[in-house]
Amino acid sequence: MPQRRGTLHLLLPLLALTLLVTGCPKRPATITAAAAPAPTGAAMAPASPGVQPAPAAPSTGGSTSPSATSPAPATAAPATAAPATPPRPSEFAENANLRDVYFDFDKYDIRPDDAKTLDANASWLKSNANNLVLIEGHCDERGTNEYNLALGERRAKATMNYLVSQGIQANRITIISYGKERPVCSEKSEACWQKNRRAHFLVKAR
Amino acid sequence: MSTPRRLAFALAGLLAALALLLLPPPAARSQAPDVLLNVIAGGAKKLNLFMPDFTVTGAPDPAGLSRSLADVAGNDLTFSTLFSVVSGQPALPAGNLDAMQKAWTEAAAAGAHAALHVLVTPRPDRLEGEMRLYDLTSPQLRQIATKKFAVVPTEARRLAHKIADEVVFQFTGELGDADTKIAFVGLRSGAKEIYTMDYDGASPVPLTANQSINLSPRWSPDARSLAFTSYMRGYPYLYRLFAFERRPVQLLAGFLGINSSPAWSPDGRQVALTLSKDGNPEIYVLTLASGAFRRLTTHPSIDTDPCWSPTGREIAFVSDRSGSAQIYVMDAEGANLRRLTQSGFNTQPRWSPKGDTIVFTSRQGLHDLWAVAPDGSALRRLTTGPGDNESAAWSPSGRHLAFQSSRLRGTKVFTMLADGSEQQPIANAPADSASPAWSPRLP
Repeated sequence: MPQRRGTLHLLLPLLALTLLVTGCPKRPATITAAAAPAPTGAAMAPASPGVQPAPAAPSTGGSTSPSATSPAPATAAPATAAPATPPRPSEFAENANLRDVYFDFDKYDIRPDDAKTLDANASWLKSNANNLVLIEGHCDERGTNEYNLALGERRAKATMNYLVSQGIQANRITIISYGKERPVCSEKSEACWQKNRRAHFLVKAR
Repeated sequence: MSTPRRLAFALAGLLAALALLLLPPPAARSQAPDVLLNVIAGGAKKLNLFMPDFTVTGAPDPAGLSRSLADVAGNDLTFSTLFSVVSGQPALPAGNLDAMQKAWTEAAAAGAHAALHVLVTPRPDRLEGEMRLYDLTSPQLRQIATKKFAVVPTEARRLAHKIADEVVFQFTGELGDADTKIAFVGLRSGAKEIYTMDYDGASPVPLTANQSINLSPRWSPDARSLAFTSYMRGYPYLYRLFAFERRPVQLLAGFLGINSSPAWSPDGRQVALTLSKDGNPEIYVLTLASGAFRRLTTHPSIDTDPCWSPTGREIAFVSDRSGSAQIYVMDAEGANLRRLTQSGFNTQPRWSPKGDTIVFTSRQGLHDLWAVAPDGSALRRLTTGPGDNESAAWSPSGRHLAFQSSRLRGTKVFTMLADGSEQQPIANAPADSASPAWSPRLP
């Protein structure tokens, strides 16, 4: 369905608002308000500069309390800035050096074993500083679509926060939640559900 | 009842009958509910409605509208659960009072309480229909209502739906739910696309074809557009599409993070939604005219899945701030928060059109639908498996609910009455249909 005009007046305030919220105190980024060109001609670029909101001090895992990995509220100072538009997810590719991490049911804190996996992922990202990373947050089929979209977002965010705590610049990281929409395993068993409750990593050269 | 009151009633009845003779159509309306009430009071569960095939006048009927439209309306009336429909009888000849009288007398003798006679007249630019409703419990087999409709020739089924809705209106004082659509998420080539179909599963039509993931369709109160979440540009943004017009899709929210769970305010001017742009999923309200976003929740946990009360004064939503997903209610400014559900894992609050019930999905192993009053009382279970039963959507009258169930193979859209009875799959609905959204009555 083609989209040409009519959203620009909506986009610009959105853009301004998002920039306000996520602006950079340390290293003022040159923020271009220009939206990315429509990739297919079918859609206008969205009003979303690729700046992730600031992570709070991340959890080192172990706790089952949801608040353990709660990011800072919106008023917290952002850690850094990023390019004005995140690359499309399709621009990222699989990389065997980055391993998935897994979550308990309806939880989004990093488990101790998975913290080790993330340490290894962080170490690879440090030595491959030319790569941007996309973190996908996923859920199992239990729970409803809308809630799982939020839960997947929290998992991706908790994973991002951990990597940032290990020294990875936030502006190299983009997150996306797929909720329960992209399972890797489709059987109705705990073994299968555990495989689906994951954060998955993709990379893209800068 | 005291004697003077009874006399007054009898007098009023006489006057009404007199008025009926003088001014048949408007006064007729008050008669039909009595017929239904008397039948129910007499011990019958449903009103037996005799309904011959429609009488097509003024033109030949090569498309067989006489039978096909009668079938559509008959199914609508059966679906309402108010009527036991006696159909399949040949159409009455047009303008033949004796034939009608004979048919009605025989039907009454066989136990029919009311009769529906429909005249269909095809015109070059439209299809006209006239419904005439008769009380077969009255000695004179009197006509109790009549009404005319017209639709464009390509929407013949809507003529039957409108007539069925009017029959329900005549007997209950409230229109039926037949002239509506159900939007849903369907699988196509591995993608999740938004579709609509008639409420009875006929004529499924794809509304998106972007080969990505499209979720959570929600009808605007004018039944012209749908808000939905889509990954068509890679990330989950919120859009609006126009279901019956050639208009481009509008981007409603394209912030970093999730832009999801749209819910229209009852006046159609605002959309409540979930954004995670400020760090974690929170409820916001978008005012469509200005494009301004107003934040309602401020909590470091998940807040999502908003749903307006029919007055627009309150919003129910889901939060895991207690450690598990529960239903909360706040006012439309975000204040006066109260928790509605106490235990388990509860999501997808859906406020009834009359405001007295909130249906939600509860996970206890599998998912089932429950209902609770907005004050937290009258908690009751609506479905008990098999499979997962979730994602409820109210019909405009509030008498029915659509929901998705995995009790058969795959996921399919089902309907039931608001009390959980009469659960059935929508017969013609495509396999792998989910997340139903029942439209308001069509414009």
